[in-house]
Amino acid sequence: MAGYLARRFVQMFLVALVAAICAYGMLYLVPGGPIDQLLAERQNAGPNRITEADIRRVRERFELDIYLPFRFTRWLIGWPAGPLPGGIGANWQIGCAVPGQVRLRYPDGRVEVREEGCEVPVTMADLEGRTVSRGIVFGDFGISQVMLRGRPVSDLIMTRLPYTLYLMGTSILLSILIAVPIGVYSAVRQYSRFDYIMTTIAFIGASLPSFVFGIFAILLFSVLAKNAGLPYLPPGDAVGVRDYTIPLIGTVQAGSFLDRFLRFLMPCGVLTFINIAGWSRFVRGSMLEVLSLDYVRTARAKGVAERVVILKHALRNSLIPFVTLLAGILVALFSGALITETVFNWPGIGRLFIDALGRNDYNVVMALLIINVVLLLIGILITDILYTVVDPRIRLT
Amino acid sequence: MATSTTAVPLEEAAPRRSEGQWAIVFRRFRRHRLAMFCVGLLAVLLLLSAAAPLIAPYERDEPNLTGRFLTPMGRDADGGLHILGTDHLGRDYATRLLYASRVSLGTAFTATFIASTIGIILGMLAGYFGGWVDIVISRFLEIVATFPTLLLLLILSSILVQNINAVPLPAWGASFLAFLFAVSEREARIIFAVILVLAFFGWTGTARLMRGMVLSVRENVYIESARALGASNARILFRHVFPNALPPMIVDFTLGVNGTLVAESALSFLGFGIQDPTPTWGNMLGYAQSYMFQYPWMPLIPAMPILIASIAINYIGDGLRDALDPRQRG
Repeated sequence: MAGYLARRFVQMFLVALVAAICAYGMLYLVPGGPIDQLLAERQNAGPNRITEADIRRVRERFELDIYLPFRFTRWLIGWPAGPLPGGIGANWQIGCAVPGQVRLRYPDGRVEVREEGCEVPVTMADLEGRTVSRGIVFGDFGISQVMLRGRPVSDLIMTRLPYTLYLMGTSILLSILIAVPIGVYSAVRQYSRFDYIMTTIAFIGASLPSFVFGIFAILLFSVLAKNAGLPYLPPGDAVGVRDYTIPLIGTVQAGSFLDRFLRFLMPCGVLTFINIAGWSRFVRGSMLEVLSLDYVRTARAKGVAERVVILKHALRNSLIPFVTLLAGILVALFSGALITETVFNWPGIGRLFIDALGRNDYNVVMALLIINVVLLLIGILITDILYTVVDPRIRLT
Repeated sequence: MATSTTAVPLEEAAPRRSEGQWAIVFRRFRRHRLAMFCVGLLAVLLLLSAAAPLIAPYERDEPNLTGRFLTPMGRDADGGLHILGTDHLGRDYATRLLYASRVSLGTAFTATFIASTIGIILGMLAGYFGGWVDIVISRFLEIVATFPTLLLLLILSSILVQNINAVPLPAWGASFLAFLFAVSEREARIIFAVILVLAFFGWTGTARLMRGMVLSVRENVYIESARALGASNARILFRHVFPNALPPMIVDFTLGVNGTLVAESALSFLGFGIQDPTPTWGNMLGYAQSYMFQYPWMPLIPAMPILIASIAINYIGDGLRDALDPRQRG
């Protein structure tokens, strides 16, 4: 077991590293990004036209003046942060602050300015004063370059994480509590009216996009209910800014428990419904499989009460495959439901990712991506270990 | 099983000799009434989207600032009838919806087709040859499978859509896609970027399924006989392995189309996929969301086709599964 775990950890580390390299390369190798966006925004802005010095400053802030491999290692392990001990390599060039320009004059009279070589190099010694993260490997995600203008990414994540944890935690718990009984009952009464209705709802629920659900929910419970003068639910955000009055309930104070609760209901309901649709089908399928096994027939033949057969003999075994879903739960708890959070303007991690991506805050994007990959890998490992616990026939070697 | 005594309907037990394999599948599929109805629905949607430029009553991008947010069946200042109303720029909603069907459905089918092709080829190679080919492909698959798909979809799509010149698409490809989706060549490049991204993340499931199928198919005696007769690897793969591993791939493709359709809609809905003025069901819904409090009918119009297409495709997949592999009926 110890050997197995050691091998798995090495494997996980390698996979996470490959994912980090791929994602980092993807973000930075493709042309465009903060500089191009800045140029496009302020190209024709009259007195605010950006100057060479501005570009240089922005390039430095985003570390774009350091060559990609060094930028990557600085982000990954916080090195190089300055010259090596003893001042070795102080004048090694590891980047370029101002690219050199060459004017090419073609025989037909056209003139083209092309970037070539380097006019002002960045050396190891230049890195001395700059802020650098300790490296993502050591749990430092660097600074948020756009959204918080220089404060750590982890601050940003910590302010959003509680919202996601509390939304996802509640909805996952509710989903399990509701989906398992529905799945079991559907399987026990296969082809009954209840089973038909539940499988149809689950089928539709599982095939529908969550944003359509979210919008329908807002339409029904906020817009139409409000227009009809019925008690309605506030359509978005986690906390209100000003008080509002709801028929039959009265005035709701912004920021009160009631306000938070009302705003929580819809995103939680939508997420729970989607989860139930998927999981109840899963439980039903695995329950049906177990119910057709020989030992269930044996138990019935021995005269064991049907309740005990179903709840003790069949259910416990049918939940074994359910363990595989746990791998996803760990990730879901952290990263939230991206689309649902966006639809309901819920200030969680999923929404943070969308905002960061929309504003080219690459450090935030990368941090969330890496955390996701690592959590998924840990989730898979936990699942594999749990398998040996719930099913002793499986051995990890 | 050979001694089973259950009664089997005569026509199923002994199909007429002239009836080919696909005719049997089609006959079985036809019995699934809901799936047949869904085929009809999808056919109508496809037909409407194919005929979009012919039947659309207005210009796709023509704004009309005096006739914004018209209700369905409303008339603008010139007396023009807008069957589904107009959007926030006064563009005719029905026209945009027709063009959007073309883009959304076209993107879903094209991306899934590319993804399935990649998946089938890689899965076939991994399953048939085994050894290091299998190891390389399977490891690659595992790594891609641990990527958080939705996050990467968003990242890649937002990058590519911002830099459409980085999209590797030759001019003839752009004009072909422009023709296919009834859009301009610039728009075709953005659509192609989204197709590429969707295809890149869509092939892993197919590859895994195909690998498993090939692993079981290649153990059959007829493969051994073919090899004994001196058939080449290529011949065995395409004449014997591929056709026998195909049925689950057809179901996988159908369900894949739904997955891609939903993914593209989500990307465009969030603003990282196909961009306005190119209409898709997703980005129309995204815009409609901001105005739904004053104009509650607006989000319903692009949401309905997403609902219909999504459920229809899933039921068709279900029907196909029953028709292609009656043993798996659940």
